[in-house]
Amino acid sequence: MRPARLLLGLLALGACTRAPAVPEGLRVGLITPGSVTDAAWNSGAYHGLEEIHESLGVPVSHVEARTPAAQEEALRAYAAQGYGLVFAHGYEFQDAAERVSAEYPRTIFIVTSGARTNHRVAPLIFRLEEASYLAGMVAGRLTRSNVIGFVGGVELPPVKAAYEGWVNGATAVNPNVQSRSTYLNNWDDAALGREAALALIRVKVDVFHHNADAAALGVFQAAKETPGVLVFGANADQSALAPAIVPGSAMIDLPRAFLAIAREVQKGHFMPRVIVFGLEGGVVRYEPNPAFTGTLPTDLGPRLQAARDSIIAGTLRPTARPRHRQAGAAPRAGAQG
Amino acid sequence: MKRPRVVPLLLPLASLGAGLAVLAVFFSVLGYDPVLALGAMVRGAFGSWYAFASGTLVRAIPLMLIALGFTVGLRAGVLNIGGEGQFYAGAVAAAWIGLKLGAWPGFAATTAVLAVAVVAGACWVAVPAWLRLRFGVLEVISTLLLNFVAEALVSYMVQGPLQESQHIYPQSDQLPLAARMPVFPGTRLHLGILLALSCSMIAWYVFRRTMTGFELRAVGRGPRAARVTGGLRVQRLGAMALLVSGALAGLAGGTEVSGVSYALYPNLSPGYGFTAIAVALLARQSPMGIVLSAILFGALEAGAGAMQRDAGVPAVAVYVAEAVTIIAVLLADALSSRRRDMVTA
Repeated sequence: MRPARLLLGLLALGACTRAPAVPEGLRVGLITPGSVTDAAWNSGAYHGLEEIHESLGVPVSHVEARTPAAQEEALRAYAAQGYGLVFAHGYEFQDAAERVSAEYPRTIFIVTSGARTNHRVAPLIFRLEEASYLAGMVAGRLTRSNVIGFVGGVELPPVKAAYEGWVNGATAVNPNVQSRSTYLNNWDDAALGREAALALIRVKVDVFHHNADAAALGVFQAAKETPGVLVFGANADQSALAPAIVPGSAMIDLPRAFLAIAREVQKGHFMPRVIVFGLEGGVVRYEPNPAFTGTLPTDLGPRLQAARDSIIAGTLRPTARPRHRQAGAAPRAGAQG
Repeated sequence: MKRPRVVPLLLPLASLGAGLAVLAVFFSVLGYDPVLALGAMVRGAFGSWYAFASGTLVRAIPLMLIALGFTVGLRAGVLNIGGEGQFYAGAVAAAWIGLKLGAWPGFAATTAVLAVAVVAGACWVAVPAWLRLRFGVLEVISTLLLNFVAEALVSYMVQGPLQESQHIYPQSDQLPLAARMPVFPGTRLHLGILLALSCSMIAWYVFRRTMTGFELRAVGRGPRAARVTGGLRVQRLGAMALLVSGALAGLAGGTEVSGVSYALYPNLSPGYGFTAIAVALLARQSPMGIVLSAILFGALEAGAGAMQRDAGVPAVAVYVAEAVTIIAVLLADALSSRRRDMVTA
């Protein structure tokens, strides 16, 4: 019947367009769970891929895969084509990467915010909370209403940690600060992000932080519409999004981290392990917006520097529970709010 | 009059060609090599047995099932826009029961998982069906709104009762091996394809050869005439069609969990429930047409991934490309049906 013939025809057509010969050497793939136009999490990863291409001169490829089915397919496709290194940019890739890795031992999979090492799957962890803590310190001094707000995408461990760091930083410099937070259950819906931010503004929030990727663009929008509201960027240096209202960003220098890993892989001495980046080394850092330089309290700079040093030295834990909430409780070992 | 049978296939094909030509121009304007881009697309969808089975057919399975369901409803004159929600209802039920059946033998466990998914899909649409029967609430609206409820339900489930055992990530635990459908060796294609094809054949048989099929069509074409002259219980038939429709979408959710993702995730479906409506419309209510049309849409999605991966076309351009192709095919289809109407008039 005709349908069958049509299918055969298409199959034949596919077979005719031969795949290009597999090139020698390292090739690097990136799979993002969302759009690389989010100016944050995914776009940072994409810049990392470009950086790898430019600095190491290796062929690279990117694909956006939003559903579990598409994600596993993309992992498999790269592995089957002999890619040596694949960045799977989100915790949600962990299980699929382990499944695929069992069948394709030659490919190294880096799962950003991943859970564990298995086969040649290695998690890449960013301690963004360390930078969010510093952002919180600045916010604590800038808020006039003493209410700070946070808009999160999905309540994942790294997002929660960033929120805790943000609140702890603010309370460290301003004990009167109260915080409000909203989770959107979504990383893409900028309209939802805007609604959430406007709702928080109505309960007197005047300084925001976020961790909601593309949905956070709505938070910036809401802040632009409301005089006197500031937003601290997350995951990337977001000052350029709205220079007048972004005092700084808790950023992850994804390109630097990606490049470091790709270098190791290219030289052939990469060992699968839990890879952690924090303030130490500067991959995670608080990036102030130069436009705000003269407007901040003068004593803040040295305090930020001191906090940064303490975090790196391990004497200050950004996510430790703040002291004032521990009233009456026995002091916990290692907790240094 | 008997229309020539070649035309309905030739026109969509020609329009597909036209759509691809538009795409070629589009890619050239954007600065991408159109041959490379479209080559990658075709290779990604049909380039090898692996690509065809694992990329195209795996995506075609849920599309086929939901589109069949939509068509069953359409034949009886009810519009089930809630395929997405019923898909998720089936997926939740499948994950829930699948996680409990680790000790069962494989065949029994997968059968139970799929059966529960079917029931869940039907239950999800039972509410609109009842509202329609009892109060005359338009099923277009009630099924559509229940999509949002279903998505919220999944969100709740993966952060509540069905959350993975460490209680960290918004997803369920992985299904035990017994509850997973077998895949064809060397591919990711699962046995759901046989289910989808069987359902298409059954639908074809029911539509063509049985009394029920005839009644459905009578009700769909002219409800009043069917009631007056045929003595058919129009409302009841419509409700039954809705239930079958939901059951098929639920089955799609079950096969996706048991055959592809092996766990419940909030973003399990890339909008299968809505794409399936286009699949069904393009197939013009023909079950065999749905098989082809679902494969075409599956190929588009699979090819879209390959275009990004292998030709470096950014995702946004790929989405535009997909939409252009779909519109081209649907447009040609609409034109051809108008021409045919003019001929037969």
